[in-house]
Amino acid sequence: MKSALEGITVLDLSSGIVGPYTTKLLADLGARVMKVERPKGDPSRLMGPWLNNEEGVESSGTYQFLNTNKESIVIDLSKKQAYPVITNLIGLADLVVTSFSPANAEKYRLAPRDIRALTDVNTLAITNFGWTGPYRDFTISETVLYAMGGEMYSHGIAGQAPLKLGGVAALMQCGAMGAIGALGAIHAKELHDITQDVDISLFDVQINSVDRRSSTILAFRFSGRTQERPEVGGLYLIGGVYACADGFVEVTGGVNSSHPYWSRVTDMIGDPRLKESKWGDLDFIRKPEAKSEADAIVVPWMIERTREEIWSAAREARVILAPLFTGKDLATDKVFNERGLWVEVEHDLLGRFPMLGRPYIFEKTPWEIRRPAPMLGEDTDKILGECGYGSAAIKNLRLEEIVR
Amino acid sequence: MSKLSSDMLPLENMRICDFTIVWAGQSSTMYLADLGADCIRVENPYIWNPATRASAPIMTPEFSALLPPWMGGHPPNGRAWNNSPAFIHVFRNKKSITVDSRRPEGLEIVKNLIRISDVVAENLATGTLEKLGLDDNVIKSVRPDAVILHIPAYGRTGAYRKGRGYGAHIDSVAGSSMLRGYPDSAPATNTQIFAGDFFVGMHGAIAMLAALRYRNHTGEGQVIELAQAECSASMFPQSALEAAWNNRESTTIGNRSIEGFVPNGVFLTRKKATEDDRWIAISCRSNSEWKSLVNYMGAPEWARKGDLNLQEGRAEVQEMIEEKISDFTITRDRDELFRDLQQVGVTAGPVLSASDAVDDEHLLQSRAWQNLPASEDYPEALFPGPPFHFSRSNVSIRKVPAALGVDNDYLYKELLGLDDEIVAQLKSDGHITESFSKEVLGES
Repeated sequence: MKSALEGITVLDLSSGIVGPYTTKLLADLGARVMKVERPKGDPSRLMGPWLNNEEGVESSGTYQFLNTNKESIVIDLSKKQAYPVITNLIGLADLVVTSFSPANAEKYRLAPRDIRALTDVNTLAITNFGWTGPYRDFTISETVLYAMGGEMYSHGIAGQAPLKLGGVAALMQCGAMGAIGALGAIHAKELHDITQDVDISLFDVQINSVDRRSSTILAFRFSGRTQERPEVGGLYLIGGVYACADGFVEVTGGVNSSHPYWSRVTDMIGDPRLKESKWGDLDFIRKPEAKSEADAIVVPWMIERTREEIWSAAREARVILAPLFTGKDLATDKVFNERGLWVEVEHDLLGRFPMLGRPYIFEKTPWEIRRPAPMLGEDTDKILGECGYGSAAIKNLRLEEIVR
Repeated sequence: MSKLSSDMLPLENMRICDFTIVWAGQSSTMYLADLGADCIRVENPYIWNPATRASAPIMTPEFSALLPPWMGGHPPNGRAWNNSPAFIHVFRNKKSITVDSRRPEGLEIVKNLIRISDVVAENLATGTLEKLGLDDNVIKSVRPDAVILHIPAYGRTGAYRKGRGYGAHIDSVAGSSMLRGYPDSAPATNTQIFAGDFFVGMHGAIAMLAALRYRNHTGEGQVIELAQAECSASMFPQSALEAAWNNRESTTIGNRSIEGFVPNGVFLTRKKATEDDRWIAISCRSNSEWKSLVNYMGAPEWARKGDLNLQEGRAEVQEMIEEKISDFTITRDRDELFRDLQQVGVTAGPVLSASDAVDDEHLLQSRAWQNLPASEDYPEALFPGPPFHFSRSNVSIRKVPAALGVDNDYLYKELLGLDDEIVAQLKSDGHITESFSKEVLGES
């Protein structure tokens, strides 16, 4: 066995961001993923960034990232004759992943119970709000998801609007949760010979987020306190984001000098005024001038130094501090590049290009890109052949525009 | 009675020796505990790991009030380590053993636990386990087929290996912090969030599950390194690839959409009683959603101009559209507007505060919450349960969040098989306890 998930075949009927990230995680660790695309392709093919700034059905960065190591077969699910084809594909799979809305699952007869009626196979169904309840049929976007499920309410500054995360981070998070569910089902099958339906709703995943959401809810239940958006400057006398010579750094220094990290950050800055006893006096530190007095020392120290100068001093002094990196920083950073954060892929149509690489390093079963994201319908013939369709039958399916 | 196979949990019979701290580590093992693994938290009562069981071992009302609710909102009780709203949920389905692993007999107990564990998971500061005498080679010599998960902040190799960080710092290096915020203000006004903890915790679970599968098939364990900042960068592939492919920097766009949805954002709605911080998120994901929104607003003159029918046309006057929608939403009740817009086919949803979320009728009808009985440490309350629901295995909160040392008796006597005399000795030597040491409690 060369990879951790070798021998697992996933039929991926999902589309967009969440389901495809779930199956990418499985594919990158060695599972075979057969991605079913609609004739126009996965909607993520319409999202940038674009390789060499050229828009096109194959050159979407979002699609390329989310679909590494997968095969693509194009099937028009809206055609009645597509159903027997899908049925045959399900027969090849150890796990079927879907992200249909409940209404579409019913329409296509691909709800978990429909799939189970066809064959005894593990399913993972990802929905917005689950299969029952008042929001069952409601739609979702990155922003609506984070607004309702995640801790958007307290993200941002008092008096201004609540803030979303960058990019489509909340959806990506949900995709990762999908992979945990999928692997749980795979273990139950391989260890205990149980097959079952795993049900994940995006709303639930965000309500469960350890990024403050579970905590703000429990805090309300325990104490009646609601987490509001904070005032600018926040909680810490030394802490938060500071401008420096070439960007910004984030530091956790402490609410006052009794905080365990206070001595580290004040050692690093080295100004004797920060060692005075008043920084431990609760009456003093509650006054607004305490923060401005600390800023008068810390802000100039930061602005005179570069991010790397500050970070390297912080690493030596064990200060809880890090630079704010941009996309370009991540792309060019020597340390992360040497560690292998980026890999180069070779694409039949697009040539060679860099791809954001592994989230983890396995000692024996390396994360690996065996092939770049598939071209639309690249594997249609091969997969149909495995299902027993001869070339005449495949030709016929193409003529009737059931596959392409 | 023997168990029916349909009762089996996916990871039944798997054991984790859990040295994780804070959120990323502790949540990674939580997901495996949810799936049925016997997860044993190994806790040293002589060491206070920051941001692991609570903000501080003693949470006076004055100190609590200084902290934001998610850190400071404890039920009043003298055992803050058992009831922090920030951390208690990540102890669900786990067991807790106390042992001072810095003493030889303590280290021996830890090794005996590792010997009967399938997984060793840790995210202590880089080098801590090695200093204890538990480097990978030692772990492998005790348990040759162990799956070992390390979760360093920036990697176990390279110039950043000594860097310290919590979630907020991981978010900074991963690019998250530069991508969020108000478009017109500097990142210096950002508030700390911990998206990376959530993301990394899930990836830790995925990595352990994958490595366990490999081990089940081959009998071989392995070491996994999950560098938090590298993993978290995967949350923002668009920004990273835009830079790598086109040498173009992505900056914050506030609440607008990188998917090209216009409008996309949050809008203030009508005050309800004394509450004036009520917002609704609206995303027009297509031109037809836009048309539905326009019709719902009564097809005002400004919205009927032809070029607004296309996303590109709307993108050019995005600010004007946002202002006009705000003028409309401020006259409406948030929750009615949410229902109405969804009914007519517009993607919308309220920005739910924690107090809104606990009353949300959909969540109350779903399986999101599980009622846990009152304990010495917290009142009866609905806790968040595992977000994945299995049709046959009972994946739920089967065991209440592990209080410090609550399973000592079972673990020392039954699992490790130590006799009463030795257990009594370990108790008087301070290994076995349900409280932190005087030194830890005195320090705070």
